[in-house]
Amino acid sequence: MMKFIAIAGTSAKKSYNRSLLQFMKKYFEQKAEIEIMDIADVPMFNQSDDQSNTEILQMFNDKITESDGVIIATPEYNHSIPSSLKSLIEWLSFELHPLVGKPVMVLGASRDVQGSSRAQLHLRQILDAPGVDANVMPGYEFLLGNAHKAFDENGDLNSERTIDFLEICFLRFMRFSKISNLLNEEEEFEFNPGDYEVSTLGHGGSLPMKVTFSEKRIETIEIDREGETEGLADVVFTRIPDRIIEGQTLNVDALSGASETSNAVLDGVAKAIKLAGVNPDILKRRPKPPSALKREDEEYTCDVVVVGGGGAGLSAAATALQKGANTIVIEKYPAVGGNTIRSGGPVNAANPEWQSGFEENPGERTTIEGLLATDEKLIHAEYLEDFRALKKEFEAYEEKFKGTKGHLFDSPLLHRMQTYFGGKRTDLNGNDIYGQYDLVKIMTDHALESVKWLEEIGVEYDKSIVFAPVGALWRRGHKPVKSYGTAFILALRDYVEASSGKIITDSPVKEFILEDGEIKGVIATGENGQKITIHAKKVVLASGGFGANTKMLKEYNTYWQEIDDNIRTTNSYAMTGDGILLGQSVGAALTGMGFTQMMPVSDPETGELFSGIQVPPENFVIVNTEGKRFVNEFSGRDVLTKAAIEQGGLFYLIADSEIKKTAANTSEEKLELQVAAGTLFKADTIEALAEKVGMNPESLADTIKKYNSYVDAGFDPEFHKDTFSLKVEKAPFYATPRKPAVHHTMGGLKIDTSTRVLDEKGNPIKNLYAAGEVAGGIHAGNRLGGNALTDIFTFGRIAGRTAVEEM
Amino acid sequence: MKYLAIVGTNADVSTNRMLLQFMQKHFASDVDIELCEIKALPAFYEPEGEEVPETVVELSKKIIDADGVIIATPEYDHAIPAVLKSALEWISYTSQALTDKPVLIVGASHGVLGSSRAQAHLRQILDSPELAARIMPSSEFLLGKSQEAFDYAGKLKYPDKLAELNEVFREFLLFTKITTELLAEKAVIKKDKKYTWQE
Repeated sequence: MMKFIAIAGTSAKKSYNRSLLQFMKKYFEQKAEIEIMDIADVPMFNQSDDQSNTEILQMFNDKITESDGVIIATPEYNHSIPSSLKSLIEWLSFELHPLVGKPVMVLGASRDVQGSSRAQLHLRQILDAPGVDANVMPGYEFLLGNAHKAFDENGDLNSERTIDFLEICFLRFMRFSKISNLLNEEEEFEFNPGDYEVSTLGHGGSLPMKVTFSEKRIETIEIDREGETEGLADVVFTRIPDRIIEGQTLNVDALSGASETSNAVLDGVAKAIKLAGVNPDILKRRPKPPSALKREDEEYTCDVVVVGGGGAGLSAAATALQKGANTIVIEKYPAVGGNTIRSGGPVNAANPEWQSGFEENPGERTTIEGLLATDEKLIHAEYLEDFRALKKEFEAYEEKFKGTKGHLFDSPLLHRMQTYFGGKRTDLNGNDIYGQYDLVKIMTDHALESVKWLEEIGVEYDKSIVFAPVGALWRRGHKPVKSYGTAFILALRDYVEASSGKIITDSPVKEFILEDGEIKGVIATGENGQKITIHAKKVVLASGGFGANTKMLKEYNTYWQEIDDNIRTTNSYAMTGDGILLGQSVGAALTGMGFTQMMPVSDPETGELFSGIQVPPENFVIVNTEGKRFVNEFSGRDVLTKAAIEQGGLFYLIADSEIKKTAANTSEEKLELQVAAGTLFKADTIEALAEKVGMNPESLADTIKKYNSYVDAGFDPEFHKDTFSLKVEKAPFYATPRKPAVHHTMGGLKIDTSTRVLDEKGNPIKNLYAAGEVAGGIHAGNRLGGNALTDIFTFGRIAGRTAVEEM
Repeated sequence: MKYLAIVGTNADVSTNRMLLQFMQKHFASDVDIELCEIKALPAFYEPEGEEVPETVVELSKKIIDADGVIIATPEYDHAIPAVLKSALEWISYTSQALTDKPVLIVGASHGVLGSSRAQAHLRQILDSPELAARIMPSSEFLLGKSQEAFDYAGKLKYPDKLAELNEVFREFLLFTKITTELLAEKAVIKKDKKYTWQE
């Protein structure tokens, strides 16, 4: 027997359209099975809040997919279909597409004579839209006017003529469905077997691939991944091809956080399919691969569950494993790495033994002298003793190297005092903040231990150079040999897996398991919407900050004049403050939430640091949207950001062809791509450049003329820039648009020195620990470059250790 | 003069919102344009009794206080988004604040069509007796390829489209004036209209 799904297009409790469907169900029960579905619980469609995985939408998807056809009875609201019905159709044409090729019968009822005539016409157009692609039965228009008089007390239609016409329409629809469903059978095809080489455009440029076909199957997909960054993109290159081959389909979802690269891989395979003589659309219309449809709930039991697979989380997991605890890491993105994988790499740790192998740089002693000259009245009491001890250390050093060139000076005390001074800030309300002494002490005292521990785990450092990352204030950065933050993540991930730790990806944690008010694990939502329950004795939150959550940034901000609605971030888009919200759900206290760090020179569209022409600050010329300078380009991140926000956020870095050569971040090929894409402006004269950007040409020309004269004079009477190198004089000229983007959120959960999460009264919340950017108190108002890594590896390890010790 | 500009979507990032933001700045010397979001409105339901959600009351008030309304609609499945339809259902079911209100329809889309089918639907919907808005006739503003249409400062980059928008907007100012004058003479008899909400 044929099976149909019937939808009454309204959320109203009483509906003649529903009555009509109920009548049809009863009247035609010998001919077909009709199941009526209710749309009252379907949420309002919102493309920014995908709810395709919710039970109700999955139910609609499954039932419609399995049915032979769909009957929709629509009322008419304002000459069109009700928003509730429209919302359902929008959901069913977004990520889910059960209506594609599905036979649909449209009918409707109304109290007036119209019988929803105009709504039905709209509905037909809507069902015909790409993405919906339903196969609507033509003609046989069934309009039930005066519906309030059309039914008898049993709910049956009371006019024989109407019933006869409805029956003809329905019989016709049954035949239409049979024929229509034949169209849904796949076109026959055969590949021309062999290897096909194609190239597609990835995130980092051209992406060459080789796809091998047999007559009936895609056999292998090989991707040349050079040029793409490791990390998330890396996962794309394995997962997307695996899924394509598994399901022999191009109906594969892009990975969250890497959609561009995902689609590039899919496009490449589609190209190859075409070369092999087959229309790729055939494979796009196939069902998703089985593993993408796996929806059974999962349940695990372990000692320690770590929420978040960045540097802090993996360090906590590795430590817990070292201590013999059964450990699970749960990560919401398809790959581990978090923000750590995006970091430049150097981790701050005072290591005098190693650093004394390097000569001191000119001016370094002056820096320390300046710091030590601070009036003790300006130093918080808890730091005073260390301040004085540092004075002694430095006195001894100066004694030793009086009048001669010394080695690079450093000590945990200097690291501590720089972290303290670097973090001291005052917000817009006049509130002061500074790093919490006990936490800063732990971090600076155990920094070196963390560096060495990572070495044992498998991180190799380049010891020939001591780094001062941007904003670090001092040379104490240990830089891994392998590129950037990837080095830490790969080593830690391999270590965790080799120690039988389990890593579950694609699964955001939604809530704690609470028994009698006590935390007993977490519940997450898996890749395909399934429920993942992890029973654990201890939970470590290492889920990062909230740099990608604009709402939270705006809500808590007390430091910046304004946080734009369109603020971007240099962070991974996973950083939405999930752990902070989880902590709050069990009464955790927060600290320092109003303070965030901005990276002033970020891409206005993506928040990226490495687009456009990024040169050393002596070669920056920063102008606002009117073509005028507004700040000393040599200022710190804070000052640049504040000045930019006052100008409305957007500003431009002006470069000429000589300045361009001092950019380390790019190549001519990349720049030309950006010019073509309109994300970088290029012109042969300053005036033409101004016009392209939309500035007044005269103001920009005047600004540049003045700037060049300051370079000649070595003096900037306007903004007091004091270090210059190149003038802006040789064509072509460039303008790189920049905007401040969120870089680090210093505030977070309040923790003690053992990483226990504290409640408002300062008492530890049982079984809950937090480490990394999710926790606050350490960096206060401003985080030093290179200290984020020190923080996560140090407190990550402590969290792993404490969790096991308190088991 | 004061216009209310309704962003016809609940999406976080929308070129229709950008279009209205641009119009707000660009026409600031002619008229005060207030942007209005509909995301916070509940999905339409027939309220029991007299109770109307606060957000709906606020929206109605803003519409009543405005001299005219601009609606920017995206196109979802050849029609206006459910969330915009829901907002209009609320208005028509409760305050009927759009009755006789001068309305300009604009729309942006990522493709080349510029939400043309959605705009046509929206005209029919606004013309229903329960809404009865005074939609500006015989003019349309369709912004295709909207993702590339705005520069970093939010300015509309296409010169032809900008000229078109200037013209449409100038007409709308005139239309608002004439409509308002015309309606002042209309006998203020609130007819006991029949609505067909019960299904």
